[in-house]
Amino acid sequence: MDYRQCAAEILRELGGKENLISAAHCATRLRLVIADNSKVNKSNLENTDGVKGVFEASGQLQIIIGTGTVNKVYDEFIAIAGVSAASKDEVKQAAAAKGNVFQRVIKTLGDVFVPIIPAIVAGGLIMGIMEALNFMANRGIISINQSGYLFQIINMLSNAAFTFLPILIGYSATKVFGGNPYLGAVLAMFLIHPDLQNAYTVSTEGVAQSFSIFGLYNVNMVGYQGHVIPIIMASLILATVEKKLHKIVPEIIDLFVTPLVSLLVSGLLTFTFIGPLFVAIENGVLWFVQWLITIPFGIGSFIMGGIYSTTVVAGVHHMYTVIDMGQLAQYGYTYWLPIASAANVAQGGACLAVAIKSKKAKVKSVAFPSSLSCMLGITEPAIFGVNIRYVKPFIFGSIGGAVGACLASVMHLGASATGVTGLFAVLLHLHAPIKYIIVIGSAAAVAFVLTWFFGYKDKEDAPAESKSTVSKEIDVPEKEYNDDTVYAPLEGKVVALADVPDATFAEGVLGLGAAIEPAAGEVIAPADGEVSSIFDTHHAVGLTLDNGMELLIHVGINTVALNGEGFTAHVSEGDKVKRGQPLISFDKDFITSKGYPIITPVIISNTDDYKEIKTTESTEVKRLDELLTVERG
Amino acid sequence: MKTFAYTIKDEVGIHARPAGLLAKKAKEFESVITLEKGGKTAAATKLMAIMSMGVKCGDTVNVTVEGADEEKAAAEMEAFFNENL
Repeated sequence: MDYRQCAAEILRELGGKENLISAAHCATRLRLVIADNSKVNKSNLENTDGVKGVFEASGQLQIIIGTGTVNKVYDEFIAIAGVSAASKDEVKQAAAAKGNVFQRVIKTLGDVFVPIIPAIVAGGLIMGIMEALNFMANRGIISINQSGYLFQIINMLSNAAFTFLPILIGYSATKVFGGNPYLGAVLAMFLIHPDLQNAYTVSTEGVAQSFSIFGLYNVNMVGYQGHVIPIIMASLILATVEKKLHKIVPEIIDLFVTPLVSLLVSGLLTFTFIGPLFVAIENGVLWFVQWLITIPFGIGSFIMGGIYSTTVVAGVHHMYTVIDMGQLAQYGYTYWLPIASAANVAQGGACLAVAIKSKKAKVKSVAFPSSLSCMLGITEPAIFGVNIRYVKPFIFGSIGGAVGACLASVMHLGASATGVTGLFAVLLHLHAPIKYIIVIGSAAAVAFVLTWFFGYKDKEDAPAESKSTVSKEIDVPEKEYNDDTVYAPLEGKVVALADVPDATFAEGVLGLGAAIEPAAGEVIAPADGEVSSIFDTHHAVGLTLDNGMELLIHVGINTVALNGEGFTAHVSEGDKVKRGQPLISFDKDFITSKGYPIITPVIISNTDDYKEIKTTESTEVKRLDELLTVERG
Repeated sequence: MKTFAYTIKDEVGIHARPAGLLAKKAKEFESVITLEKGGKTAAATKLMAIMSMGVKCGDTVNVTVEGADEEKAAAEMEAFFNENL
């Protein structure tokens, strides 16, 4: 077979190198990420000499070439395609990066915020309570000592993560974009430097200082408190510049030059270009929303309530005090605050629906406190941590906000002051508390109900994989399975590991476990997991189970020497497998006839993670019978 | 940090048994030992990670040893590779 010709034909049939994003190979297949799958001529590909099969799985185009030849075709392939060799992880990442821009933006936002959630959820909740207490104390409704040390300390603790949120975002986002996260943190620190005017004071005090860029436009010396998008964009620039520099700067000066230059470039760009751009956009939005809410019959308010949360995501909300203040001065009431409040509470309602509906402890533990803090007016945890991640709750939250805002407008509800939104803002509506409760109640209810019925379903964490394997009937006996038991991956006689006629296994070098003298020639997955390795010779398979256990199933002794003869693999490396799914078939008689013992050790290769591993007392096991039990260390 | 590269001579590559022996050997040292081949890396103490690198005969593995006993560890690991792989 002519490897070069084979590679050239593959490249031609998949639409040329312009259509190729990255390439990797496993034991038998070329795994390619393609820009536009419609340009791939699959039938011609399948007819290419040397190609044994073509299919698409998990965003990759996989071309089966065969053991021993795939690497040679691959070498030729990357040589003529001019792509650099990618590891399989990179191919997977590239595959995950596909999808439309919107999906990618949402995914990026999620990736940035998910690690931050623990830091802001509890703080958000307490902050909501503290703001309400503070507000009530200021109005003499309750009597607490706000200057007392306890109040002060709790106050500082609860809002610390929010005051410096850009730093957390800078760290996390830069990490997501592949840069040095500490540089990302520094960049964000620069953007909220105490020497800059705090962004939250602009709406009441105006811009204190600005300087001119070549006389073209002015840059305000204002920090980026409360901002999300500019920080993420700054982090993207930082990471991009940093990665480029790492490649071109000589190693001796890399440590010194790269961080300095990438910080300087990204900091300056953000401050002089992205920042002003955002100020312009913000002012535009501000003008737009002010105009919007003047549209009569509640229509303007309906739209505003719907887009309010989106403007929070964009980071414009810190300018809204301007509107509150303006309206209070003009009318004595602010008609803006009920709209904002309805939108916030609605996001809380959507988040609460997720919290109650989800059966996953992990989702619940984030969604519950997030929805509570959202009801109290601190929306970030709910919006970024829950609603946007699942997209639909955010949309339904926005619809709830729209409904609430519309009602507020129709009932002509205004707040007597500004400062808090959410439940406690009822105190701003003491002239019409019932109306206010109707507004936020219906906002939350609409969002909750919509999200409950249409907005959220527990998903498997793993993306649904298109069938890449020979799908055989999976037959799993009905019984209770638990995580601390290893179920027999094949049936036969149970043999103690020490009696395996091979020192490496018998002495437990590979880990502890048991062996089975197989009665039938098929190995199945004992539990859900992932194939972490399968040998080219198909005589052994390594699994990483979802419960963290690493299992090695090695069919026969020294069978590596058979070079695949007598074995058929049904899965390939990286495949997700379900309990009962066939992994390897083998010809028992053939292997024995070649003089190899067929005994099959089943080894827990991460034995060190367990305190004790016990073998079943039965001498025979059927498939998925209890074989080993472990005690976790 | 000590590094060395080794080209696998064993015709079946790093399969289960040598991987097990390798992991066992690597656990003897305090130093962190990392294997690298074609952009994939694995902790030398992790059997499953080593195996999933799929090292074949003729492949070159880069071994990095870092830690208090790196001199000794690197020397012994290199000897191990020469003897077993």
